Amino acid sequence: MGIISKLLRKNTSPARLAGFALSNFIGLIIVAGAVMFYIDARGIWEDDDSFVNTDFLVVNKKVTSASTLGDRDATRFSPEDIAAIQAQPWVRRIGEFSSSDFRVYASVSQGGRGMETALFFESVPDSFVDISVSDWKFEPGQGTVPVMIPKDYLALYNFGFAGSAGLPQLSEQLLTGIPLKLYMRSEDGSRSMSMEGHIVGFSNRLNTVLVPDAFMQYANSRLGDGNEVAPSRLIIDVSSPGDVAIADYLNANGLEVAGDKSGSSAAYLLKVVIGIVVSVGILITLLSVFVLMLSISLLMEKNRSVIHRLLMLGAPLREVGAPYSGMIVIGCSVAWILSMVSLVILRSFYADALQGLGLSSDGLMWAIVTGTALALIVIIVNIVAVNRKVKAAWGLKMKNA
Amino acid sequence: MIHRIEEIKLDSLLPRVFAREELPSSKIWRKNVVFRRGGRYLVESASGGGKSSLAAFIMGSRNDYDGTLMFDSRDSRSLSISEWQEIRRSHIAYLPQELALFPELSAIDNILLKAEISGDVDIARIDKWLDRLGISGRRDYPAGRLSIGQQQRVALIRSLCQPFDFILLDEPVSHLDEANNRIAAAIVEEEANRKGAAIITFSVGNPLLIENPEKLNL
Repeated sequence: MGIISKLLRKNTSPARLAGFALSNFIGLIIVAGAVMFYIDARGIWEDDDSFVNTDFLVVNKKVTSASTLGDRDATRFSPEDIAAIQAQPWVRRIGEFSSSDFRVYASVSQGGRGMETALFFESVPDSFVDISVSDWKFEPGQGTVPVMIPKDYLALYNFGFAGSAGLPQLSEQLLTGIPLKLYMRSEDGSRSMSMEGHIVGFSNRLNTVLVPDAFMQYANSRLGDGNEVAPSRLIIDVSSPGDVAIADYLNANGLEVAGDKSGSSAAYLLKVVIGIVVSVGILITLLSVFVLMLSISLLMEKNRSVIHRLLMLGAPLREVGAPYSGMIVIGCSVAWILSMVSLVILRSFYADALQGLGLSSDGLMWAIVTGTALALIVIIVNIVAVNRKVKAAWGLKMKNA
Repeated sequence: MIHRIEEIKLDSLLPRVFAREELPSSKIWRKNVVFRRGGRYLVESASGGGKSSLAAFIMGSRNDYDGTLMFDSRDSRSLSISEWQEIRRSHIAYLPQELALFPELSAIDNILLKAEISGDVDIARIDKWLDRLGISGRRDYPAGRLSIGQQQRVALIRSLCQPFDFILLDEPVSHLDEANNRIAAAIVEEEANRKGAAIITFSVGNPLLIENPEKLNL
């Protein structure tokens, strides 16, 4: 429809359209960029520890000279201690560590070389361990038991021990493939059992050798002496890991948090900052939508009598709206294309820096999904507004009676 | 999809603005009137008699009337927007008193715009009409720079560039001399005859000179 669009495009202001495209571009890049950075960087902040939720804190009492001198109960949590912690507002639930009431020896043999060490086991309720159920379970009669060890152990071995002892360094992947031979016996040596252990993961946050709760109960009942001991460590599910009240309480009560909790506060901070950035981006996008809607409706208001005359000639509403819809689609598409290209460029600035730290590759995809969805919403909202405006012009009443 | 309109029926039609007024004798308001396809009608009225209102009711741009307005068996109040657009495009041609040209477009573009909308483009025929009405020299002038009489002729040609069963002409020759009036009447009658359409022309004193119209006073 050559002449119709020629007619309606008069009075259009390219500067206003460019202004919309620019503000829409800025909004898109902020929202999509924040989403991209958040997803890309998430792996780093969240410690790459998918086994234990960052909302969980592992706490123990500070070891003092008294406990070293023999009063081992000094570092144990009595039922009263646990009740006191449970009463704190930031506590969702508490899990107790159960220790093995027997001796454990583990050995590894690989290519003729062997290594043996005394070991210990602990367990926490399974609900505190984020790992697929099929990997983290034990039933009596099962020949192998899943084991989770701290990442630090591997680091100690690789960078401390292996070098000085002339042993090869081991990767996580390699270790999960090697079976551990476990030999367990009771304190007095009268009962024993052998089993195969299978390392299923390395944790930053649980500084212990962890086995499933079910195994711990089974082994304690077979090899233990029936000593009920109070736990010396607790795992706490907290409602907000960044809360200062937690640190205050722990300090005041002589408790320590295992692992580095700065990761969780940093992740918390990152979430807050990204949240602010995304809100600002959405605000700008909304404003750009309003700028566009406003300038399109201003333009249509200016052209209202032109539109009405066209409609009186029998022009289909769709054709009368088309030049405006076309402008919207062009403006949005330009903004969309520019922002998507900018995202790729933006990403190249920090990709190298993050590569070594475990850059996730999903960021760009999610940013594009977000940006595209946002651009589509902007287009749809504005085209709906145009169509309503055309309909309103159709119903224009003539003045002269 | 509207195939063809045979009759426009007015039943007790009255603009709401007239509802409280004493009307002088009118052959249209509050009466039963039927405009038939193929007919010739001259609706005469004094200023303010409501002829533009009648045109607006028939063209669907206003519906502030009492009574009913039927296109064959369809009540015009029941028509959808797209049906109205179809009627305007293919069934009822309309030359409004205010012409409603686009002043920024050239004379020929004003005409071609209508032809494009209705899908009835015949440039040779349009050029012949421009020639007969003595405005072919103004073909490419912006409509806004033409005299009212010239604009009236452009608008007349534009109204013919579509299929129609009825053509409504609201004071089409108010600014034309008698010679041009006769040429315009001849062109309109030729087109109406060719299409089997009715001519309904409105006038306050200088009617389009078509042959033997049925006269109705508003």
